[in-house]
Amino acid sequence: MPRADAWRLAAILAIEAAVFGIASPRFLTAANGAEIVRLGTELGLLTLALTCVIVSGGIDLSVGSLMGFSAVLFGWLVTDRAVSPLAASAIVIAAGAVAGALNGTIITRFGALPLIVTLGTYSLFRGLAEGLTGGVRNFTSFPERFTFLGQGYWFGIVPAQTPILAAAILFYWALLHRSVIGRALVAIGHSFDAARHSGIRVARRLLLVYSLSGLTSAIAGLLYVARVGQAKSDAGTGAELLAITAVVLGGTSIRGGVGSIAGSLLGLSIIVFLQSGLRLAAMPTELAGILTGAILIAALAAERRRLSSSGGGEPRRAGRTVAIAATAVALIAVAIHAGLGAARSTRAITVAMMPKAKGDPYFVSCRKGAEEAARELGVDLIWDGPTDLDPARQTDIVESWITRGVDVIAVSVENRAALSTVLRKARGRGIAVITWDADAERDARDFFVNQATPQGIGDAIADQTAEILNDAGSFAIITGALTAANQNEWIKYIRERIAEKHPRLTLAVIRPSDDDRDKAFAETQTVLRVYPQVKAIAAIAAPAVPGAAEAVRQSGRTDVRVTGLSLPSLCKPYIHAGTAHSIVLWDTNSLGYLTVRVAAALRSGALTHGASRLDAGRLGAIEVRRDEVILGAPFVFTARNIDRFDF
Amino acid sequence: MKPVLLALTALAILLAVVAPGFYSPGNLRELALNNVAALLAAVAVTLVILCGEIDISIGSQLAVCSVIVGELARAGVPAWGLLPIAAAAGAGLGAVNGVLVSGWRIPSIVATLATMAIFRDGLRWATGGAWVQDLPAGFQWFGLGQRAGPVAVFSLTAVIVAVLAWSLRHLTAGRALYATGSNSEAARLLGLRPQRLVFGAFTAAGALVGIAACLNAVRFVEVPANAGLGLEMKAIAAAVIGGAAITGGRGTVAGTVAGVALLGAIGTALTFLHVDASWEKAIQGAIILAAVAGPAVAPSFARSVRAAR
Amino acid sequence: MALLDASSVNKSYGGVTALRDVSFELRGGEVHALVGENGAGKSTLVGIFAGRVPPDSGVISIDGVPVTDHAPSSARAHGVHAIYQQPALFPDLSVAENIALSLESQSPLAPVNWRRRRLQARDLLARAAASIDPERTVSSLSIAEQQLVAIATAVGARARVLILDEPTACLSAPEIDALFALVGELRGQGAGIIYISHKLDELPRIADRVTVLRDGRRVETREMAAAPAAELIRLMVGRELSAIFPKQDVAPGATAVEGRGLGCRRTGLHDVDFTIRAGEILGVAGLIGSGRTALAQTLFGLEPAEAGQILLGGRAVAIDAPATARALGIAYVPEDRGRCGVIGAMSVAENVTLTDLASVSSRGFVNREREDRVAEHSCERLGIKTRGVRAAVSELSGGNQQKVAVAKWLSRGARVMILDEPTQGVDVGAKAEIHRLVSEMAADGLAVMLISSDLPEVLGMSDRVAVMAGGTIVGTMNRGDATPEKILSMSLGGMRQAGTS
Repeated sequence: MPRADAWRLAAILAIEAAVFGIASPRFLTAANGAEIVRLGTELGLLTLALTCVIVSGGIDLSVGSLMGFSAVLFGWLVTDRAVSPLAASAIVIAAGAVAGALNGTIITRFGALPLIVTLGTYSLFRGLAEGLTGGVRNFTSFPERFTFLGQGYWFGIVPAQTPILAAAILFYWALLHRSVIGRALVAIGHSFDAARHSGIRVARRLLLVYSLSGLTSAIAGLLYVARVGQAKSDAGTGAELLAITAVVLGGTSIRGGVGSIAGSLLGLSIIVFLQSGLRLAAMPTELAGILTGAILIAALAAERRRLSSSGGGEPRRAGRTVAIAATAVALIAVAIHAGLGAARSTRAITVAMMPKAKGDPYFVSCRKGAEEAARELGVDLIWDGPTDLDPARQTDIVESWITRGVDVIAVSVENRAALSTVLRKARGRGIAVITWDADAERDARDFFVNQATPQGIGDAIADQTAEILNDAGSFAIITGALTAANQNEWIKYIRERIAEKHPRLTLAVIRPSDDDRDKAFAETQTVLRVYPQVKAIAAIAAPAVPGAAEAVRQSGRTDVRVTGLSLPSLCKPYIHAGTAHSIVLWDTNSLGYLTVRVAAALRSGALTHGASRLDAGRLGAIEVRRDEVILGAPFVFTARNIDRFDF
Repeated sequence: MKPVLLALTALAILLAVVAPGFYSPGNLRELALNNVAALLAAVAVTLVILCGEIDISIGSQLAVCSVIVGELARAGVPAWGLLPIAAAAGAGLGAVNGVLVSGWRIPSIVATLATMAIFRDGLRWATGGAWVQDLPAGFQWFGLGQRAGPVAVFSLTAVIVAVLAWSLRHLTAGRALYATGSNSEAARLLGLRPQRLVFGAFTAAGALVGIAACLNAVRFVEVPANAGLGLEMKAIAAAVIGGAAITGGRGTVAGTVAGVALLGAIGTALTFLHVDASWEKAIQGAIILAAVAGPAVAPSFARSVRAAR
Repeated sequence: MALLDASSVNKSYGGVTALRDVSFELRGGEVHALVGENGAGKSTLVGIFAGRVPPDSGVISIDGVPVTDHAPSSARAHGVHAIYQQPALFPDLSVAENIALSLESQSPLAPVNWRRRRLQARDLLARAAASIDPERTVSSLSIAEQQLVAIATAVGARARVLILDEPTACLSAPEIDALFALVGELRGQGAGIIYISHKLDELPRIADRVTVLRDGRRVETREMAAAPAAELIRLMVGRELSAIFPKQDVAPGATAVEGRGLGCRRTGLHDVDFTIRAGEILGVAGLIGSGRTALAQTLFGLEPAEAGQILLGGRAVAIDAPATARALGIAYVPEDRGRCGVIGAMSVAENVTLTDLASVSSRGFVNREREDRVAEHSCERLGIKTRGVRAAVSELSGGNQQKVAVAKWLSRGARVMILDEPTQGVDVGAKAEIHRLVSEMAADGLAVMLISSDLPEVLGMSDRVAVMAGGTIVGTMNRGDATPEKILSMSLGGMRQAGTS
């Protein structure tokens, strides 16, 4: 890579380190360095593989999907086929190489463009993973000697993945920059025709590079499983774009021929530093996406400028340097401002609270209650979590909170096994841990703020459905993503309750909505056509109820009604119109409020084990049952009561 | 464009035999309306692909425009004013891509990768994920009601797509777009100003996505803040299946419409055929691969058949 | 008054002066040849006329009116049309549309009249003596056909100033005749034509005056009649060239490579028989599209033979890929140097060793010191002028780039060397050096196949000349028997001569 580019990237990295070092004293510590390596390993592996692919003039969009496929394959082998983790890993890695070879074969045999081919396998691999598991299987409880790879430490400080990442870096560096094969890849990237005319076995080299990409993605998939302790078909979602960003940021030309492993590692570091630093500084994770995008544009614009000025010069673009510099300065200023603001605050206690997904209206409503309690109590509240459902991200965020040193961590747990490990670690460092909304393992937390059990919800939804159908008839379920653990558990209890109490109800079909209102709408329309006997829809994701209800309303079918789990505010019009019979939920606002109250009480000593009551501000006295704080039974919202709620 | 028609025909025959209920007017109407946004987005991305570029930020653009439409409606902007504003907002976002690609010469896949993250995460930051609710009664179907509203939305879409198809074939500007995608240096020598055309294509694509956002949003009474996730991949796939060359210069709106029809019908068709929903993505991937490999396989297959005789 | 007048034009690229104080005058109704070695500034000068390149200083006037807006569009508005070696066409669009796009300048919202476009294209193609269906997409045309489309376009546009940049490099003799007839017609209509060519022998047929450029300066402008080829060469290089075709006499050895009944359906090659002995140069002449390049591609495994046999040193070999050919000691220097011959962005050393990385590596890792030594040796042997073996090939002149394309293969000791138009677009000095190299190769015992459209080159260099037409070899003759007339008549007639081997 040209030296100027390397210096520019190193400068960005230094600025990041300085900004986050000031914003959070924990950023520049060995412990955080170790965490950054842990977080960066899977992305790093993909970045290395993609560097070679992109240098050869291609691209591979399927790496993230292949991680998902590998995870599922591994889980299936270990759980259902009782293959030892070692043998299963070998099979998965071989399968990854074969999948990569599929990309390579189609590209070389049919002369098809890599972008399109891997767009196809991007869908295909993820689709296979979903199809094979029905989307719902979630393989867990892997042996500890396997999860050590993702969660353990060498010598108590070096993350277990480190040797793998280091080996991969060495391998890819030697391959690309020192080996005969690497030279051939560079030649192919610069000019496919000239490489062919030089007698290079172009097809064979490309086949190799795509196979390696597949193999490396499979390893990344395995490490992901080891780190989060579960194997589900959604592993690695979106990882391909992040890895491509790192590669391109590192100075590799998307047009091929030019690129370096060192550059890609710098690009990777910039991204991972940004994510880790923003978390430690308790700034919203959305900023990571915005800043990464901005840095990417600034870096490329600067590179283009250099190229154009050396090639004869176009003076009117001179102003762009200024624009880039100004952008960079502005971004840094924002970061410093926010960072210093966070660092300066010296409130009594800091409570870090995590939803499963920040964008979900359900959690948006919880946040309002949490902020209300924080204001009342003078608590410094950090609210952060994955933007979409992403179990791996939750672990990352808790890790950064531990590094940062908060007083209380409160988590709505998406993935029990993996989060429990990291929550235990937090407790070990003297941080009080509570879970809310969804529980971890009991020894991993002090208290669980229990709003309602999955069984309670499943029962209530089944009962409401039976009410719509007068205890006999057919109904359909519109769920969230097929992979969502929560919904799958509710479905389990719905089935149980029906078998037990409403035997004359039949479940016609379950369709996914991917937490997308529009998709829930379309799916419901189709269900109404294909299954005319269905007279009740149970929509069990917050955006799915309004989607299903709108579909019923527009169909003009007055004999079908909707129930499910959602927010009153989203469903109010449909409840009043009668298309939605009812919705089941607890007071989400109060759930957030109560969680912060519990956190503060736990820290101040007002709440200890053995207590039976807790004074929870506007909620009055709340029942404490052993190590659970009970919000109350699920609440059924109907036309009669829904106007009393504003969340 | 031939393979896509073949696949579409095969699917149509299969459905006619196994699940004739698929062809009920109601189902077809719903299918059409549900794919309005995907269709406009795919046509938008076709414009960009024709001039040899790519736009993977359209899903994020759709989300931003949807929320803008919702907020304006709530602020009291009358229904007839929403569409032009949505188009303008989309054009603005598209113009950002246009500047990055044609002005700053950043490869389009990288530029739009960056704006994809910026638009989407920027929106999340601004809204905190909250939906736009409490919209005025006149918002849904532009206040035209359940009967006339869908007709209006669908006719508007059909008119826009038809006008674009005609313009690309029969207007000087349309041909200039093909020329730029086919050989941008030659276009420059002709005085066509490829940079401006590329900028124009991105801006027009943005405007189309804005319109898509508006026409999609008015089907409902609330506007979610996370619309259009994954839309870009679906739109690009539809264009490619429809015969557009990702290298530019080749492709038609009609082909893209067929691509959208195929991809859009697959999901619903699976339900009609009682196939598990979880296979949908795998089938989509297989279709894309078949579209890529098909034209290459077909002639050699035909040759081997001939040779065997 | 001059049609086009340039006075004191200067242009430099980042410190390198391309044009220094050049003045040039083109009259209406004349063909004005522009000659000079590569890098003399010809392309830059016509680039400025065509509005592609803005000048640093100097005045360009058309009909006495100074041009202020230097853009391709304004040049075209003034009636200046330029046609380059690789015509700037739109491969995905039809011939009719390609022509129309140049002729119509309409507002973006104006509708297109497809019927008129087709009629107009048919008419113009007929005038250019080209029988091309206007509905065909340009990507399906040969380079020569594309050139004809570009010329038809210029005729249709009633170009007042027509710039032809090496138009005959890819054309066969009858096509050249048709081109010259068209140029004559345009001249008769009062247009001015600027004609760039390396083929000095064809200039007297067409040019009225000639301007010689050297190192970015104008050396001289003369009446064509007063400028014999030898004199022009002296003006271009500033020195006399002793021998242009220094073929040494070598006693040929055993048969090195032999083809028997070679055929390939895709390229239209059929029933090709030939032999080349070690130390022998077989010249291959023929029109464009006669199968010369197809034969080379088959021998090199780019278009594997579907019929017949290739024998190397008497042993039958199957060549299914370039890599196989390379392993067997077959070398190919392709015609399209920029796209296939060298990789401009990579260094001289990396290009030279690309064909044989094994020799500069151990256990799969490249040894850069050994690589440098190999490359330095090649540069020395071939006289490649570069500032270092780690300099990018794109920094070199065309002739030196071509030498790198040859060096790639010489460094690994090939047995059969196929050269496809090795001196096309190479300046006179470098041309002589390449001829010396080819001669040396033969002297070293290589079997050389020399494909060339340059008849004097073929006749001067080859021991024997094979003539191809319609995808096969129609005749082979010894150097002593070969004359330009014979070759041409065989190319055109395609009849089989006695004594074909």
